[in-house]
Amino acid sequence: MNEITRLMNRAPKWATWMIYAAVGVFILTVVQSLTDTERLTSATTSSAMLRWAVPIMLAGLGGLFSERAGVVNIGLEGMLALGMWFGAWGTINYGPWWGLVIGIIGGGLGGLVHAIATVTFGVDHIISGVAIIIAAPGITRFLSLEIFANYDGGSITQSPGVDGVGKFTFPFLAGGSIGGWKSPDILGWFMDHGWWFISDLASVGRGLTFNLSQMTILAYLLVPLIGWVLWRTRFGLRLRIAGENPQAGESQGVNILRYKYIAVLLSGALAGFGGAYIASPELNGIYLEGSTLNRGFIGLAALIIGNWRPAGVMAGALLFAYPTALGKRDLEGTSTHSLLLVAVIALAFVVLWALSRNKTGDAVLAGVLALLAGFWFLAADTVPKWWTDVQPQLIVILVLVFFAQRLRMPMAVGQPYRKGES
Amino acid sequence: MRKRLLLLLAVLLSFSLIAAACGDDDSEADAGADDAGTDDAGTDDSAADDDMAEDTSDGSEDESDMDEDEGDMAEDEGDMAEEPVASVGLVFDIGGEGDLSFNDSAAAGLARAEAELNVTTSKVSPNDDGSNRAELLQLQADSSDIVIAVGFLFETDAAAVGSANAGSNFGVIDSSMLDFSGETPAPYADNIAGLVFSEEQGSFLVGAAAALKSTNGHLGFIGGVCCFGLIEKFEAGFIAGAKAVNPDITITSQYITEFPNFDGFNDPASGRETALAMFEGGADVVYHAAGGTGLGLFQAAKEHTEASGTKVWGIGVDSDQYNTVDAELQEYVLTSMLKRVDTAVFEIIKAHIEGTFGPGEQRYDLSVDGVGYSTTGGFVDDIVDQLEEFKASIIAGDIVVPTDPAEA
Repeated sequence: MNEITRLMNRAPKWATWMIYAAVGVFILTVVQSLTDTERLTSATTSSAMLRWAVPIMLAGLGGLFSERAGVVNIGLEGMLALGMWFGAWGTINYGPWWGLVIGIIGGGLGGLVHAIATVTFGVDHIISGVAIIIAAPGITRFLSLEIFANYDGGSITQSPGVDGVGKFTFPFLAGGSIGGWKSPDILGWFMDHGWWFISDLASVGRGLTFNLSQMTILAYLLVPLIGWVLWRTRFGLRLRIAGENPQAGESQGVNILRYKYIAVLLSGALAGFGGAYIASPELNGIYLEGSTLNRGFIGLAALIIGNWRPAGVMAGALLFAYPTALGKRDLEGTSTHSLLLVAVIALAFVVLWALSRNKTGDAVLAGVLALLAGFWFLAADTVPKWWTDVQPQLIVILVLVFFAQRLRMPMAVGQPYRKGES
Repeated sequence: MRKRLLLLLAVLLSFSLIAAACGDDDSEADAGADDAGTDDAGTDDSAADDDMAEDTSDGSEDESDMDEDEGDMAEDEGDMAEEPVASVGLVFDIGGEGDLSFNDSAAAGLARAEAELNVTTSKVSPNDDGSNRAELLQLQADSSDIVIAVGFLFETDAAAVGSANAGSNFGVIDSSMLDFSGETPAPYADNIAGLVFSEEQGSFLVGAAAALKSTNGHLGFIGGVCCFGLIEKFEAGFIAGAKAVNPDITITSQYITEFPNFDGFNDPASGRETALAMFEGGADVVYHAAGGTGLGLFQAAKEHTEASGTKVWGIGVDSDQYNTVDAELQEYVLTSMLKRVDTAVFEIIKAHIEGTFGPGEQRYDLSVDGVGYSTTGGFVDDIVDQLEEFKASIIAGDIVVPTDPAEA
């Protein structure tokens, strides 16, 4: 066991993530063979997961920026709604790329309000966030009444159809073309051979590389970019000091207020991107009132289980999006049912982990939960619809129960800061 | 620094102006209710509503009966004095006027009543979480003889407000307004009626249409929210209608969310994903009863048709969706199951004026054109005769359409 840990620690980060992902697919393959289902590792499921995760991830990354600078942003849900409206409006009038820019600006306006309230006037972060959540649907309703209601096919609750940006397929991996030459489709070749695990791995991979919207790729490129900005640049260091110990930063001459403003603005802008993505054909293909579906809150949950780190947020968003994406296509109800077996295996890993650290209480608790999930798996053939709905919440609760001590939030998050107090 | 603060204050103020403007909906509505006596309230709207009424009536075949009624009413109107015979207060469901569906259909019924029955009308919309329903009902009850509430979510509030205002009549769309707490279900009060539709009968007809159009013998049904009893009626009728044409047909049913999570009516992305899975599984006609989620069905029909080369169809619900979707999706809307909220609104107002208002459940079925199917686009023109035969059999009682999917 220790040998493996040492090897894993020496490997580069991206390789570690790849190994985790492969282990995940391996577990899914085992479960799939045991339960005789076929959707768990299908390319359509992984491709839907990739798209479903984007707004959750962008909201989470927005929360990351804001909380790293010490400002709690629960208004993300409202900023998603603003981004969705402005994204749809911009796309209808100026095309999808301008729509994205306008959506980002729309979300950024929500961030600006939050920044003015919390940073300049020292309003409690939660109160300002709630105000934005309440105000945003009112603002979008008003704007729809004034603008979309006059469009052909629009109404006070929805816009006409929204166009999308171009698609991209990775060359070699999934057979995309380079300058008109069609490259070989390697993952597709492996996928079609029906080899146990290898074809499953290729099929998941092909779903993640074939026919992606350029907007999707842009969203995922933000993850390493944000990691680099926050941990490898002077700007990032100063932004993080605003969330860890603003007084210390101030004594070193850092303009804390400015960094907090920038962080909250970027937070709103990222949520605006997420909102514009919801309105794009990758998800809704329309602005529809109330269709943010709490993705902003789930994004905050992804932020927590992702331990306030960009890659963690992405992993959390993918983890939350997977059962949803699976559930939508699971017409037989057997695949969502087999997720119970996945839960049993995951909890068994938790038991092993807890035992290796002499946490007997945690091990017993995880063991009991695993038994309950296992009993449910054997007792029923299908699960009710709410099973997929509650999975994000369940995962967060479990992570908080077992791993809370390993999570570390920015020290000064949520605390009021006034210039010149230190 | 001081200047900067002032600037920020200015920005905040301008935002609060926008926020105040959002409340407009309600304040406008209040104003409308206050001067309910004058005809000012919503004269601009009624023109648009008339268009809407024309659009939705395109689909129904038996307009002629209606026209006769209208003729009678027109004669009556001549005898009437200029003085309005009744005042009508309408309370919209969340979404309000302009939703291209439910609420607009109710508004069309109200506009028709205004034009033909010599009544005054006023309309109000709830705020976006619907927390002021009871107050709006009371507001309308204070100034109107008959209050119409659009949507089953009004049930509890309407029962309470209706019992306290015996002077006005109340009609609630989509709820039977029966109190099930006693031995036998009884109306909450003598002045409260529930206007319900036989959705299963309309769904039966579109189910038959789907089965007649299907080449694979495989259909799909997407429900928005399961397990609160309403959407299952659509599913049951659809299955029964399809099986009446082809007893061996396969029907895949899927619900998006489960009560009390109503997200399933507001999630086009899920609708598209589920519909794609159905089309890829071999279904070639899919019916939805899922509100805003249903748009995803038509997107999926287009996507699958273009990717696979074989034409697949979606069937709309409530209003004629051929008229509400984008032009590029219209050719995938086979037909729509029409729920004539406008008919129900008009009829209950007429009943109130004629003194035939009855409490409890008032049912609108095929025989009074409370439900039906649309023919816009002409995709079902070749099977209209067969559908009309089914319709006649249902009206005659030869076919009894089940309301529980298990019996279909």
